[in-house]
Amino acid sequence: MRPRVSPNKPAGVAGVVLPVSAVALGIVTLLVVPRSNLGFTTHAGASPAAAVADLAAGLGLIGAGLAVWLLRPGSGSGLLLVSLAGLAWFAADWVGWEGGPPITRSLAMVVAPFFLAFVVHLVMASPGGRLRSRRQRLAASALYSAAAIVSAGRALLRDPFLDPNCWSNCRDNLFLISAQPGIARALDLMWLLVSLTVGLLLAALAIRYLISATPTARLTMSPIVVPGVLLGLAIAAHALALLRQPLESPQDAVFSTIFQVRAWAAAALAVGVGLVVVRGWRARVILARLASDLGEAPAPGSLGPVLARATGDPGLLVVYPLPGSGRYVDGSGATVDLPTAGGGRAATPIVRHGTEVALVVHDAATVDSEQLRMQIGAAARLAVENERLQAEVLAQLKDLRASRARVVEVGDAERRRLERNLHDGAQQHVLALSYDLRLARVGAESAGSPELTALLTAAEAEAQTAIDDLRELAHGIYPAVLTEAGIGPAFWTLADSAPLPVELGGLPDDRFPEAVERTAFVVASEAIDAASHLGSTHVEVRMIRDDDRLVLEVRGAGPGPFVHLADRVGALEGQFTAEAGLIRAEIPCA
Amino acid sequence: MRIVVAEDVMLTREGIVRLLRDAGFDVVGQAGDLDGLMRSVGLDRPEAVVVDIRMPPTHTDEGLVAAQQIRTQHPDVGVLVLSQHIEPSYAMRLIQEHPERVGYLLKERVFDVAILVDALRRIADGECVIDPTIVSRLLGRQRREDPLSALTEREREVLALVAEGLSNQAVASRLFVTERTVEAHTKQIFEKLGLAVDPTSNRRILAVLAFLRSPAP
Repeated sequence: MRPRVSPNKPAGVAGVVLPVSAVALGIVTLLVVPRSNLGFTTHAGASPAAAVADLAAGLGLIGAGLAVWLLRPGSGSGLLLVSLAGLAWFAADWVGWEGGPPITRSLAMVVAPFFLAFVVHLVMASPGGRLRSRRQRLAASALYSAAAIVSAGRALLRDPFLDPNCWSNCRDNLFLISAQPGIARALDLMWLLVSLTVGLLLAALAIRYLISATPTARLTMSPIVVPGVLLGLAIAAHALALLRQPLESPQDAVFSTIFQVRAWAAAALAVGVGLVVVRGWRARVILARLASDLGEAPAPGSLGPVLARATGDPGLLVVYPLPGSGRYVDGSGATVDLPTAGGGRAATPIVRHGTEVALVVHDAATVDSEQLRMQIGAAARLAVENERLQAEVLAQLKDLRASRARVVEVGDAERRRLERNLHDGAQQHVLALSYDLRLARVGAESAGSPELTALLTAAEAEAQTAIDDLRELAHGIYPAVLTEAGIGPAFWTLADSAPLPVELGGLPDDRFPEAVERTAFVVASEAIDAASHLGSTHVEVRMIRDDDRLVLEVRGAGPGPFVHLADRVGALEGQFTAEAGLIRAEIPCA
Repeated sequence: MRIVVAEDVMLTREGIVRLLRDAGFDVVGQAGDLDGLMRSVGLDRPEAVVVDIRMPPTHTDEGLVAAQQIRTQHPDVGVLVLSQHIEPSYAMRLIQEHPERVGYLLKERVFDVAILVDALRRIADGECVIDPTIVSRLLGRQRREDPLSALTEREREVLALVAEGLSNQAVASRLFVTERTVEAHTKQIFEKLGLAVDPTSNRRILAVLAFLRSPAP
């Protein structure tokens, strides 16, 4: 079935108007501005290379904005942000439009400073498209405020004609109400300092992020963070160059180089944003496919790997709350420990009808919780619910199996304890008794008392019978040789004392967990017993070691019923079958 | 003869020590666990050790472990392992590792002082001692085609005594025949059973025991 991704809701009127006008603006810029000047008022006009860089940056950002709009649902803010960054980038070209309408140049003057705020916001908000911490929101609003103050102040108070350092536009400012060259210069200086600081901070924080992030986060975030470093450095360098040489000129090698770096860094940032957006879109396509494949009943635990692939976080886990236990289990029903705070992992709850149906444990930096919730969407939520129910049943099954295995283990431990008690207690006492009887008999013999001697001889024989019986009893309760020497010797003893010929084959020399050996022994022992009651002429006992299973076959016994044996093998998650003539037990032993 | 007794149950240990002393043996050391036994063997220089198979710390096969260590570190010291288990595997493991100066007897057997004395003497002479109960358990094993049916009554008797570890001379005196006769019997038995081992070697006990246990004898 072909994946069908529903078209996303446009972000209002702006969602249509903005990208269209932005692209149009870009094209106009391409056609008009570079021809309007001789390369003194804009960088783009100075050389073909600069023009290409200029267009790559502006159109790239606008294009990335379009990608956000098309591929990420409900992300009007992301669209605005990226497109505006593109528009603000082009503002510099419009400012320098020699002979252009004064209103265009005046407006462009107002817009241009916001470029810095837009790109910083953009980098901080990646990859989810929104600011995650209070500190980030504070920094963004401070930067927007600074840009607004500088923009407004210059619009109202700066007469470009009076500015000795004007270069791109020395004539038009329609918003001027009162020329205040002193204040205008102060505002310019303030803006240079803000740009320098913010540029350096952006670069420094981005580098720190690259160093401290988890490998996964580093990999997914580098398309945005690496251009962020470059752009920050280029912005700071531009400010620094202006502080040293207040009159900017596109013909100057330093300024034109800085411009190119800044432009290509912005273009790279645009590509990075595009990449991240495409990755998110791919994730939703994969999840949508998962939802549509639900009819084919996915194997337990398949959701986690799909999500991991979709989000690019290989360590991603989907876990489900087990009602009434406070535990979480994975898709196969195995108990999972939730990550502790810190460690770079985050847990995003998936809620359906007001109840938490799952937790997605993921890399905190790579995968954005909000995005994830969105990506999982309504359709995949059904898959989550489906798998949760499955996981719950599997977890209960696991618990049941574990408790069955425990019952068997407790029983075995109890038998072993009994055997040891018999060995150290009753058997020793009867031995001592037999010894004393022997001494007494020898005494009676030498005292010449035939009646007493006869009596004591009979008692001695009784004691020996008791010793033999106790030995058989102890061996029947728990064959010590099984624990001490393993399946081989224990099976040989079984065959030695069997009432019918027993042929043994394939006995392993390896040791296995106690419960496994004990189960194999009990099956063989009871099968031999059954065969002898059945009147079989002989029994063949064969063992096969098959990777992680121990297979025991007894021919000549059966068909049962052997409910007890089936239970015992089942408690170890093995398979037991009994048909006429063949008993077969497969016991997991890994 | 200098003897060290190792047994963790006090009652039994005292009984064995008393028996040995009454029979004229010199009990030079006593121990309740594996480490104690190894210390005593090093210090008290016994000629033979009587050791319970099950002792602290694990209460499993300490006696066999001790036998192996003693035979390695003090090859001249004989080891008689006492056990409550009729386990041919244990007896075979014992003589497999060292086919001389070792013995495996059921515990109640040693209260017959004649058997105890005989066993220790034979061990001191370099022979092996296997409990008759174990041999008869192996001889009595149910078989689909019994190769032992090819043997005469007398040959079966000789085979059992060989499996118990008796030398030809000892078999001869037990059966009131000449050593020559026993030699002829053993040669005949080994031929009939297809045993390829030299009927005069120490290894013959193990070969016989293994044969009696083989899957399709």
